[in-house]
Amino acid sequence: MASSGADYAVWLRGIEKQFPGVIACAGADLRVRPGTIHALLGENGAGKTTMVNVLAGVYRPDAGEVWVNGQQHQFQSPADAIAAGVGMVYQEFRLVPTLTVAENIVLGAAPGLLRTAEIVERVAELSAAYGMAADPTRPVWQLSMGERQRVEILKSLWRNASVLVMDEPTAVLTPGEAAELGSTLRAMAEEGRSVIYISHKLDQVVAFCDEATVLRQGKTAATVDNLQDVDLTKLAEMMVGTSGGGNVDRPPPRDRGPEVLSLQNIGSLNDRGLPALIDINMTVHSGEIVGIVGVSGNGQKELAEVITGLRRPTQGRVALKEQDVTGASPGDRYRLGLAYVPEDRLGVGLAPKMSVVDNAVVRSYKSQRRGLMLVMDRCVEFCQILVERFGVRVGRLNDPIAGLSGGNLQRLLLGRELAEQPAVLVAAQPTRGLDVQGVAAIQSHLVEQRANGVGVLLISEDLDELQALSDVLLVMYEGRVVGEYPPDVTPRSILGSAMAGNPPT
Amino acid sequence: MIRPILVRRDRVVPATQAVAFVVGIAAALALGLILLWTSGHNPAEVYERMFDSAFVGTDSLARTLERATPLALTGLAVAVAGSMGLWNIGAEGQMMAGATVATGVAMTADGLPGPLLIAVMVVAGVAGGMVLMLGPALARSHLGVSEIITTLMLVYVAIRVVEWLETGPWKDPASHGFAVIEPVPEQASLPGLFGRANVGTLIALGLLIVFSLAVSRTAWGYELRLSGSSPNTARYAGISLSRKVLTALLLSGGIAGLAGAVQLTGSATRLESGLSNGYGFAGIIVAALALMRPSGVAVAAVVFGGVQVGGQSIQTLGVSSAISDILQAMILFGALVAAVFFNYRVRWTGPAGESLVDEPEEADMAAEGA
Repeated sequence: MASSGADYAVWLRGIEKQFPGVIACAGADLRVRPGTIHALLGENGAGKTTMVNVLAGVYRPDAGEVWVNGQQHQFQSPADAIAAGVGMVYQEFRLVPTLTVAENIVLGAAPGLLRTAEIVERVAELSAAYGMAADPTRPVWQLSMGERQRVEILKSLWRNASVLVMDEPTAVLTPGEAAELGSTLRAMAEEGRSVIYISHKLDQVVAFCDEATVLRQGKTAATVDNLQDVDLTKLAEMMVGTSGGGNVDRPPPRDRGPEVLSLQNIGSLNDRGLPALIDINMTVHSGEIVGIVGVSGNGQKELAEVITGLRRPTQGRVALKEQDVTGASPGDRYRLGLAYVPEDRLGVGLAPKMSVVDNAVVRSYKSQRRGLMLVMDRCVEFCQILVERFGVRVGRLNDPIAGLSGGNLQRLLLGRELAEQPAVLVAAQPTRGLDVQGVAAIQSHLVEQRANGVGVLLISEDLDELQALSDVLLVMYEGRVVGEYPPDVTPRSILGSAMAGNPPT
Repeated sequence: MIRPILVRRDRVVPATQAVAFVVGIAAALALGLILLWTSGHNPAEVYERMFDSAFVGTDSLARTLERATPLALTGLAVAVAGSMGLWNIGAEGQMMAGATVATGVAMTADGLPGPLLIAVMVVAGVAGGMVLMLGPALARSHLGVSEIITTLMLVYVAIRVVEWLETGPWKDPASHGFAVIEPVPEQASLPGLFGRANVGTLIALGLLIVFSLAVSRTAWGYELRLSGSSPNTARYAGISLSRKVLTALLLSGGIAGLAGAVQLTGSATRLESGLSNGYGFAGIIVAALALMRPSGVAVAAVVFGGVQVGGQSIQTLGVSSAISDILQAMILFGALVAAVFFNYRVRWTGPAGESLVDEPEEADMAAEGA
């Protein structure tokens, strides 16, 4: 084991990074050998993006060392990281649509005098050398997503990056383009460059990558030196792993009540217009927690949105308390008893710039009216009751909620959703990113709601949590439910296989 | 390297707003000293004249209010759309459309008694502004076409239509060949208050109060603010975004149209292509100074109106109109910069240990592998 970074293309050592209310990295390590494709794995919020942003000079770590090609660096800006040989390809491409391929590639790194013909020629040589077909003279807006990604990669190569970071690169690609990407990356690795590859698609990770680091809760949970020796099941298990969560006592089994939510033959598309849900059938009964297991990106988000009315299904039927709500608006569904704790709390459930009171009454403002006016006293009172009942720690109720910590935001959001006693609660990643206390508080509220007869659909990436709280587990893989398991007696290995798309028969 | 970054304030305190405002304007006036000195004027005299002519004495106040009235109405129009994150930058044109329709009504109903005729003209003004806004509003709410461009483009259409009316169909036969439209009927003049101020000021004040309350205290206003602040959360709460966009823009256009009718029945004597006089565009600055809050528009409009009146009167001291314009622009610039500090404060960051990006949005975390 080397004691300095000299042997590694990248060595991030003991990285700590804290944001208000969230510990993103708590001493995580990442070691990447030269000439390898290294998978960086972990559930959402595990710290992957923070780690690569530290490497790219976007964030400065609170503690820890950054070594690139045997030299220690303290990046002050992304420009420093680029100069040190780090290339970053973000999920959202950073290209100027009206400029040509060549112009985008040299943007910010052009030789003093712009000799267009020469640049075009050199860009063409570069793309040929790596087998990436890209016409340097075409404007970027005309290109497909796969071609734009090639331009991003060429941008890094133009700057002579020795380390290329790719965040979820195949999410926008067709299967054919993904395979091409694989061979491009391999060609780069054979030249001695290194690639850090962030993805949730385990089959591609195994196909493309040599080694892997698994992050969990901001720490390095496992490293794999040779991915060929590890099977998908094992990898899926490592990723979701254990959180030490699920510290709530398993509620005693109870008789299921009547059916409160059912999905029949639901199909739906994702934001890119590709199938996200395929023939989903499931039911949730009063007084049970149905846990959705799966590696993120397998349709969980779309599932929650179809149920809550934020996304239109392409086929099938959604029923709430045996009433067809397939065409009903999100507001109508709420009034029928469907509460929703969304995954993206600040983006979908809350309005960060508005006050605590304004956020507390998102669901109930209509009942705080007298004539046209909102009765502010009643809104404040309603908010105070929520704050007390759910133990939300707040400053002034009229301050923007953006200042609240993650745990308190979630308490407020959950409290608001439960205020009018729903029949069904859809909770997507309700404990993600929270501290231990926050996790315990939210989990015990879920259990309490189950006891009150609420049917809960719990979407989570934390297997411990799912196994501790759920009455039944459904495993999702590539938009389908591939298995249904009792939570307490199913071994991890079986769940892992199902999550990797191979449910044991 | 130590460098300043802007950090969003947790809490907006009225006292800091006042301080920032005064400091901003003071800084502009201080810079203006150089301008006045180098152009050979006595700054003390110029500033004194500027202030006195705008704010000291009833005549001065009346002149400022006369200016502030259309600014307050167009500022309100921009702010109502702005409360939802929309940009109506075509208030200038809607103002003209409102005045045009009001004139048309006055021509056909000139037998009505004064108060009734004025009321009808004001309603017609609202309708005119809304009609001009209808296209941009529908295009925005149903097709997602940027309202910024469409509202701006229609400004020129509205002004050209008035020019055409002036030289063609509505040309006053009694004008001895001049291309002007006949004056509005005698009885359709808003009663004066004092000096040059008229009842239009009270109409503007009333509307400001109504809309301040509507935006901050009604369920409708709550929905508007929620939709502007966080569209996805609004959808989640069951609010129809396209309907909200449509109503916010139409109201905005209607208020600007009303500004046209009030100007027509107030300070102006007839519809002419110069009637809007830049008030609609200035309304954008007024709304920005008011941070898009209807409650702040009154103060911003009076400050803006006062600066205009003061800027004009210093020309009697021999200050050229160009220098006067630069000075006015500097003062408004100072006030606008100050407005940034209503919501943000400066923090100095050291080189080590501190993050470049300060507030990691949850979106960052959620973006991981989503």
